Amino acid sequence: MAGGGGSTESGEPEFQIAPMIDVLLVLLIFFMSITSAQVLRIDKDIKLPVAADAKKKEDKNAMFEAAINIRWIPTQQKSVIKLDTQELENEEIVNILTERKNNNPVYRAIIRGDRDVPAVEIQKVMALIAQAGIDDISFSALNQDS
Amino acid sequence: MAHDKRHRTLEGETVNLGFQIAPMIDVVFVIMLFFMVMAGAVKVERELKTQLPGLGTPAVTNEEVPPDEIMVTVEESNVVTLNEEEFDSPTDKALPNFTGTLMRLKQEADHRGAKVMVTIQAEEQARYERVIDVLNSMAKAQISNVTFTIGGDDF
Repeated sequence: MAGGGGSTESGEPEFQIAPMIDVLLVLLIFFMSITSAQVLRIDKDIKLPVAADAKKKEDKNAMFEAAINIRWIPTQQKSVIKLDTQELENEEIVNILTERKNNNPVYRAIIRGDRDVPAVEIQKVMALIAQAGIDDISFSALNQDS
Repeated sequence: MAHDKRHRTLEGETVNLGFQIAPMIDVVFVIMLFFMVMAGAVKVERELKTQLPGLGTPAVTNEEVPPDEIMVTVEESNVVTLNEEEFDSPTDKALPNFTGTLMRLKQEADHRGAKVMVTIQAEEQARYERVIDVLNSMAKAQISNVTFTIGGDDF
């Protein structure tokens, strides 16, 4: 420990930059690891339904899946459909999904619908996904109510 | 800083662009703050998988044993019926009787080597949350062949 105590000869403690950077980097890696790309794509206005017995997501590669967010506006009684983070027309959604499906045969879709959305709105989104030729669909839910 | 500037102008040829620790810490702090804020939005997301019929590869069916077809209805008033018989109260999210019946049906079908095919018929204005409750019961009973019918169209 001689010479490594972080203090000057006068006994005054000295600010050590190297350990601080170490700690900062560890914290940075920790927060990076718990933040996934999916979190960035979840619409905060959507209250997902709860399904305690649903499976954990197996494939965490967000590159091979489209997240379709369906938000419900109760005051206007209408739904807003977003592909990932973009609000698009139905035809555009079908075109984009078709292109992605053609490029990647295992491409899948995740429906993130608000719990108050009428079932008919989910049906419309499923119709869009079917039009794009995607057959692998998952419904997103939370493990518990937060 | 002033001293540095003068130093550089005087000896321009020997400018030392060494590693600067202060800006690096600034950047690391900003990145860390971003990830800390995003960490607050972390929720454990689960998924209920389904496969659209008619598009994917058709499942190998046992021709000798016909599949058990079950019709589940989800009404606007949150009432869930199985083959036209009402199960559980509309406010019960867990649907214990419905889940128990599905599990028994699945076990019985497994003994016979038959498949269980469930068609969920939801009313147009039925809540999506209730449909997920039903799907959750299916997942609990390990039933994977699920078809949706809403407004007369099959999916």
